[in-house]
Amino acid sequence: MRKISIILLIVIVITMVPFDAIAADTVPYDTYIYDHWEYIVFTPAPYVPGETISGIALEIGAFSDPQGIFVDHDDVVYIADTGNNRIVILEPDLHTIRDVITTFNNDGKTDSFNRPRGLAVTTDGIIYVADTENRRVVALDGKDVVRTIENPQSEMLGDDFDFVPLKVTVDYAGRVFVIARYMFQGIMTFDTSGEFIGFYGTIDVTISLWQRFWRALSTQEQRARQQLFIPTEFTGLDVDPMGFVYASNIDAAGEQAVRRLNPKGEDVLRKGVNENVGGDLLTWPQSPSAFSGPSNIIDVTYRGNGMYSLLDSRRGRVFTYDYEGNLLYIFGGMGQQAGTFRQPTAIAAQKDRVLALDAIRNELITFEQTLYGELINKAVSLRYDGDEAKAVETWREVLVLNENFELANAGIGKAYLTAGENWTAMQYLQMGMDRQHYSIAFRRWRNDILKENIGWILTVIVGGIFGYVIIRTVVRKRKGYEAADEGGAFDA
Amino acid sequence: MRKYFSRERLGYMFGILSNPIDSFYEIRYRDKGSVPLAVICVFVLSALFTINRVFAGFVINEVNPRTVDGITEMGSFFMLLGLFCIGNWAVTCLMEGEGRMRDIVTVAGYAMLPVALALAPATILSNVISIEEAAFYNIILGVSIAWTAILMLLGVMTVHNYTLLKTLITLVLTFTTMLILIFIGLLIMDLLNQIYGFFYSIYTELIFRF
Repeated sequence: MRKISIILLIVIVITMVPFDAIAADTVPYDTYIYDHWEYIVFTPAPYVPGETISGIALEIGAFSDPQGIFVDHDDVVYIADTGNNRIVILEPDLHTIRDVITTFNNDGKTDSFNRPRGLAVTTDGIIYVADTENRRVVALDGKDVVRTIENPQSEMLGDDFDFVPLKVTVDYAGRVFVIARYMFQGIMTFDTSGEFIGFYGTIDVTISLWQRFWRALSTQEQRARQQLFIPTEFTGLDVDPMGFVYASNIDAAGEQAVRRLNPKGEDVLRKGVNENVGGDLLTWPQSPSAFSGPSNIIDVTYRGNGMYSLLDSRRGRVFTYDYEGNLLYIFGGMGQQAGTFRQPTAIAAQKDRVLALDAIRNELITFEQTLYGELINKAVSLRYDGDEAKAVETWREVLVLNENFELANAGIGKAYLTAGENWTAMQYLQMGMDRQHYSIAFRRWRNDILKENIGWILTVIVGGIFGYVIIRTVVRKRKGYEAADEGGAFDA
Repeated sequence: MRKYFSRERLGYMFGILSNPIDSFYEIRYRDKGSVPLAVICVFVLSALFTINRVFAGFVINEVNPRTVDGITEMGSFFMLLGLFCIGNWAVTCLMEGEGRMRDIVTVAGYAMLPVALALAPATILSNVISIEEAAFYNIILGVSIAWTAILMLLGVMTVHNYTLLKTLITLVLTFTTMLILIFIGLLIMDLLNQIYGFFYSIYTELIFRF
């Protein structure tokens, strides 16, 4: 009795002691993902707030409404300091200034920017700047203009077209992709000589049958006052080393907020198990606050190895997906603390860090990778390279930190399936909610069992049939005899 | 007890599977039906339905187990069939149907038999099939549901002594009546709620004053 009460006491004391989840409670935002049933599952923090870098700390004067950020292949960071009409270039350590471009040499004349909003840098160091209010894209080599794109002429554009570039990116072949304001036809592409080639990656408008029905019923005046059915605009651009363009857009349906465009301008993005690459699945539609509604994806950055991150300006979250479109992790949030946003505008990835700009705080905010984030990134990279065996080891380490991670379970299960351990594969694939592969593993497992036991199964079946026939014959005969004994219901 | 659960009545219940028209005729005109048996049919069906939602094989089971609630599902089955019986009775009373309430309930319950019988083997089968073989599972369920629909139709037709066309018209009217019943039910619920709210506010008012 005494022993029991002591054990009880220990149990009670243990359950009363509050224990920390893996440091997750120290970050100022929620870190979670959505599972197969689209429920929120909280995870350890993949990224934690790092530094908050302001222009004042860099001794170049505060940033003002910074809108664009780019990290080149040497990890040098370029910031479009829109309100100050300058480009700030930071060394990879983020604390020393490499250069601040306010004026540059345009054909012998000194020229300057007017609210530059986007920028991109090629591998040979040419900086492409979307010089928004000057209505041109400027390509700078150091401080010399090597190329400008302005006032593009084409039959497709019309005579009164006002070219207002917002975002710009360049692929390895020197093709320039520009998002222009009020340009709903798609991303504008320019060749190496600055000639307008055409539109790229146009988003098709989808009109539901119901909308069509109402439109057919309404009068001309009503139609004029209705919302126009125009494609959504693109918001952010990035390009991967293979020349695929990642373009984010605002999707009111919250289903697809990013497109991966091949050189022909077709969307080749994979949408993952939840068929969704639109940020939050749960969008709190009932709440009237600015917090509700689908994620407002305003920028995208390619993270390497097929991964990409989306930045949501509505709830200040960063969503990271793998090359199959599976959600990996979510971090970030709105707030006043270090590591939270007030108005996020742009995102980029540098080394193990994620960098983001905030236009109200006027700061560069960094997020440092934790062990959890590192392991996921590593596992996804290994899988992207096709090294499943090593990936499995990493997925196991991920499971130690978050045993509810379906992608890890499915990954391990698939490796077991390849190795021929069907029963173990089934267990992991079921936890990973991967029906397709589970079905394969199950069929193999079932057929193996059938093959091993086919001998006695057939014996039982054949024996059963024989037994049944024999017993039936015997019973019938006996009945026949009984009937005959009782006076002969029929003549045998 | 014997009256409701006799071997003969059980025989007629399963008899509808092979000879629906004859069996329904016997049920109506020779009192071979049994309301408790019909209720048990629905009970078994709803229980098996819930079991299927939870225990069907992982390969074909798209149901989130956290959304399964056996009591609610049973309630919905009984409510739906209850509404059907009341609606059908109300309509056929006016359309020279010969069936009594008891017959309609019996028909509605007995007609659930194919699905109830198919669900258990289908659930077991679903645990030993892969995705490619899911068609077998779907065929079993599809055939049983179609069978149930046909039995329902034949049952209503026989117990009311209708022609096929008249049965179809009655069924359409029955579904309309069911909708009206639901509407009236919701209306009454809302009104009762308002009355409750009224008295509750009087009560709080009194509490605050005295």
